[in-house]
Amino acid sequence: MSGTFNILGVGILTWITFLPILGMIAILAIPSGKDEISRARSLNYFRYITLGITFIQLILTLVVYSGFNFSMPGINDASSMQFIERVTWISVTGLPMLGDLKIEYFLGIDGISMPMLLLTAIVSTLAVFASWGIKKAAKGYFAMYLLLVTGMMGVFVALDFFLFYVFWELMLLPMYFLIGIWGGPRKEYAAIKFFLYTLFGSVFMLLVMIALYFAVGSFNMFDMMDPSKFDQNSILAGFGTSWRYIAFAALFVGFAIKVPIVPFHTWLPDAHVEAPTAISVILAGVLLKMGTYGMIRIAWPMFPDAVQYFNWWIGLIGMVSIVYGALCALAQFSVGKRDLKKMIAYSSVSHMGYVMLGLAALNTEGVIGAIFQMFNHGTITAMLFMIVGVIYDRAHTRSLDDFGGMANKMPVYTAIMTIAFFAAIGLPGLSGFVSEALVFLGAFKTYPVLTVISGLGIILGAGYMLWALQKVFFGKLPERWSGPWDPTGKIYKNDDINYIELGGLVPLAIVVIYLGINPNPVIGMMTSSVNHFVELIRIGGNFAGM
Amino acid sequence: MNWYNIVFYLFALIVLVSAAGVVFSRKMMYAAFSLLFTFFGVAGLYVLLNADFIAVTQIMVYIGGILILIIFGVMLTSKFTDLEIKSGTTGTVQYVLAGISTIIVAAALIIMYLNVDWVQNPVPELESTVKPIGILLMTKYFLAFQVAAILLLLAFIGAAKIARRK
Amino acid sequence: MYNAVVNELIGSLGLIKPELALLVTFVVVIIADLIFKNNKVNLGLSILGTIVSGIFLIGMSGTNTSAFANLIAVDPFSEFFKYLILISTLIVLVMSEFSEELHNRDVWMGEYYMLVLGMALGMFLLAGATNLIMIYLALETMSMSSYILSGYTKEIKRSSEASLKYVIFGSLSSGIMIYGMSILFGMTGSLDLYAIQSYLAANGFFQPAIFISGLMVIAGFAYKISAVPFHFWTPDVYEGSPITITAYLSVASKAAGFAVLVRFIKLTFFDAAGSSDESWIMMNSIPWDMVLAVLAVATMTLGNIVALWQSNVKRMLAYSSIAHAGYLLMGIVVMTNTGLMSILVYFFFYLLMNFGAFIVVMLFAHKIGSEEMDDYEGIGYQAPVLASLLTLFLVSLTGLPPTAGFIGKLVLFGAVLDSGWYWLAVIGVLNSVVSLYYYAKVVRNMWLRKVDNGKGTLKFSIQSQALVMVLGIPTLVFGLFFGPIMRWAEHSVRIFLGN
Repeated sequence: MSGTFNILGVGILTWITFLPILGMIAILAIPSGKDEISRARSLNYFRYITLGITFIQLILTLVVYSGFNFSMPGINDASSMQFIERVTWISVTGLPMLGDLKIEYFLGIDGISMPMLLLTAIVSTLAVFASWGIKKAAKGYFAMYLLLVTGMMGVFVALDFFLFYVFWELMLLPMYFLIGIWGGPRKEYAAIKFFLYTLFGSVFMLLVMIALYFAVGSFNMFDMMDPSKFDQNSILAGFGTSWRYIAFAALFVGFAIKVPIVPFHTWLPDAHVEAPTAISVILAGVLLKMGTYGMIRIAWPMFPDAVQYFNWWIGLIGMVSIVYGALCALAQFSVGKRDLKKMIAYSSVSHMGYVMLGLAALNTEGVIGAIFQMFNHGTITAMLFMIVGVIYDRAHTRSLDDFGGMANKMPVYTAIMTIAFFAAIGLPGLSGFVSEALVFLGAFKTYPVLTVISGLGIILGAGYMLWALQKVFFGKLPERWSGPWDPTGKIYKNDDINYIELGGLVPLAIVVIYLGINPNPVIGMMTSSVNHFVELIRIGGNFAGM
Repeated sequence: MNWYNIVFYLFALIVLVSAAGVVFSRKMMYAAFSLLFTFFGVAGLYVLLNADFIAVTQIMVYIGGILILIIFGVMLTSKFTDLEIKSGTTGTVQYVLAGISTIIVAAALIIMYLNVDWVQNPVPELESTVKPIGILLMTKYFLAFQVAAILLLLAFIGAAKIARRK
Repeated sequence: MYNAVVNELIGSLGLIKPELALLVTFVVVIIADLIFKNNKVNLGLSILGTIVSGIFLIGMSGTNTSAFANLIAVDPFSEFFKYLILISTLIVLVMSEFSEELHNRDVWMGEYYMLVLGMALGMFLLAGATNLIMIYLALETMSMSSYILSGYTKEIKRSSEASLKYVIFGSLSSGIMIYGMSILFGMTGSLDLYAIQSYLAANGFFQPAIFISGLMVIAGFAYKISAVPFHFWTPDVYEGSPITITAYLSVASKAAGFAVLVRFIKLTFFDAAGSSDESWIMMNSIPWDMVLAVLAVATMTLGNIVALWQSNVKRMLAYSSIAHAGYLLMGIVVMTNTGLMSILVYFFFYLLMNFGAFIVVMLFAHKIGSEEMDDYEGIGYQAPVLASLLTLFLVSLTGLPPTAGFIGKLVLFGAVLDSGWYWLAVIGVLNSVVSLYYYAKVVRNMWLRKVDNGKGTLKFSIQSQALVMVLGIPTLVFGLFFGPIMRWAEHSVRIFLGN
């Protein structure tokens, strides 16, 4: 066990997770203000508290990263998890049938959660910049924002299934409000659709969780991964039984809705289009990863036999998501409102398909590619949504038809956007390339046909991304945008992107470029975990390919 | 067929016919008077079962008390004396459905009555049941007896509340 | 000659001290009302009596015996429900003090307190009744009070309408129930549930007769817990009654109904000696579990689906309470002590969140004069504290963590899964997804519409907010630390099974 870091007697992971709650309480305690001046002052308090809290969180995460031992595998081995914090949370002994009910407050990280922790800390800090323009009911916004961050962090550090589930559901309500109050015209529809879809998935997860609890007698994830801990009378005991397949499928659906995977993806375009910029950023940057993270952390190691049984189908689902998502993104150029944001939302579906494909590969390259793709998609798509937010704030439209020739008007913006779009395409030298290459490399070994068809996604991706780039930046500047964005000069002094927006985008761009050249800082920390993971699933599932 | 059976069927007939009268008569007054015969018939059945106390209670409380109150009530609110009682819209569908479900319930009950092995206590010597009932109410069913009193008190309070103007 | 019997009766009096405390309070309030003619005095006495009764109840904890020649059982199971009833009664009494609906109309409140106490007494007896006569009398005591209470504001048309509807449907179901009881008596020659059970166990029987009579008796209880198809009265009565009584009916009356339902089924149709905690051995071949499962599914599904279309919050909560009765029925279906425990846990949390929701709805109605969802638009920005708490209660009713409602659902579904009723569990969780939609509708109107409308804040008294807090804080805390409640419920599943 690596050294545990304590601050004021409380473990560092707890600090990272619950710091935002402290911030939320602080924000709720500050009055919104009655008149114009005090309102503006409070608004600034809210912004800076949120930024400060998330920034401290980022620093703490970097501290954890610096103390992180790259060689410890984790996954199903509690002793090689790091930064463990473990206390009994609830203990009721001697219940009839249920026996001793014990729920632990059990936190810890391994090579799978560390990248996610970093990603969450980075994205949630930078998304505060994108929230700078929020004025309506700002107190509620920043309070909900921080609650959401706690929920996300908690999911990535929890090692007790019950705790995991609580965090998983904890972020539903703030997300509902964030989309529903500060969203676009169809916000109510998008918010409730998101809420219902996710709850639908998670209730099945709840049932499987309870069934697993009865099988092993605790909510500890490691017990659930250990076949010897299973009660032989339980329906989930044994190996390759149909109940195990059903349980796996139920878990899978719960996570797949969050990813989202075709055909459970329909909430995503609505949620993305209606959500305010910062929330789109969080949604694409972190929330979608919770789905695939759940698969890697929970569904896969607990049901390796079922993974083997369904593996080809998982690969197929990945392929379908890649191609279908890309086609939908491309379709934004021909039908409907030609919404730039919707196009990016669909590109998310496509890019998350790579993660599924990489997972289905079940070899080190593929899975590393998948996890790295999660990280990269988080940073790149966060950029893309921020970029859309920048132009929407000025032009109040996202329709591709309304733009053109922006390159002269906003040169810096153009540069940033080009980096982001190229990264999304997977241009060599940028981080997206590395992960996609790894995914294809791995998947080709296992399922060549699926992989080749998936390659179509890359081509289509290049198509829609470049097309969008061309539409927005090149050609003729429409007459209506010829003047300055803001003739009064109050909100936007220059036509180009401002410093606050750059504050969100530039760090992400640096990360994207740096990891494109040297992916080791991220890949390095997950290698031993992934090796162990692949071995576990292959041996545990008696994988046919071995 | 002995006298006992003849008297039984006579009372049973009175109960059935007058009960039908309560349900089917369209005038409130007629219905109330039919009810009188129903109560009377039931009291007769009680007598045949040696349940003298209940029979007397039936006549005193139901006929002597409740029914008289009903008739007084109807007469005092004279507007309603010859009011035609009408049920709401009832179409053929309702009649058919109600008929079918009644037949099903009746059939189920009849089958049940014919098949069940009912507990039959030996008929005791003809003597007053007042004393044993009294003893039971003050011993075994003491609590039930008291609760019945509370129930009546509550009903009384409730009636006062409803009757009060404010 | 009767010395032994009389001594036993006197001994039994010691076992019903909490009931006696309520009875004495009831009588004292009647007299005090005549002398002082002061609502504050009535209220104070009622609250005092409830608390005294609670103290007696605490003193009796753990008793597991029978009183009054097997008329009622005094066991941990009834004790749990008595606590629920007492807590509900206390909340209702305090809540009534805030209700403008009751006070502003120049309605005399004296009878109100008497009837609430009488109803509590009826529910107390119902929770322990083990004799058909006793069950009937206790049920009627409870019903009689609730009929009048639901029409307490009789000047309002919908209130008197609610009362009348309640009486008519109530008498019908009582009639069916007592008919079933008479058949049961005819077959077994006894009114005592223990005696009926042993008679049924010893003799072969015409099964349909047991089925029909059992079903008829259960129908009477199903009416009280508003299970489908005996729910018709619920929406109208809940909407028309004074909101304090609506809340009381939806929690306490339902709790008493569940207590007697469980006891009746367990004592009458199960082999007392052969049953273990793990599984109760059913006598006869009648699948009571399947009957109850059908009832549960119908109840929760209909309650949830009809609730989707409601535009009145009170009415929506009425349908939602039907749905919750459906969830709770699942706990009986499994026929294990775990199932029983889950019912108790769920009920305790249900008490907190349902009362909380009703109180906030009442307080809002005072300020905006409406219980329509449309009038709730933007109220979150006018009354942030109460609206947040209402949101918490609704989230808890949906069953999302980290609220108490989630724990209730967790334990309940756990019990259902554990006994192999997988399809029932799946229907249950799908129903809770459906329920999210209508609860979220209220949340949506409060927060998502007319954001920052600048209408100025609504002022609520500190006391009323404190009352809501008293329910809101446990809803959150028990969602995170539910150990004590589980332990308490686990100790309370013991039903007195006869000598």
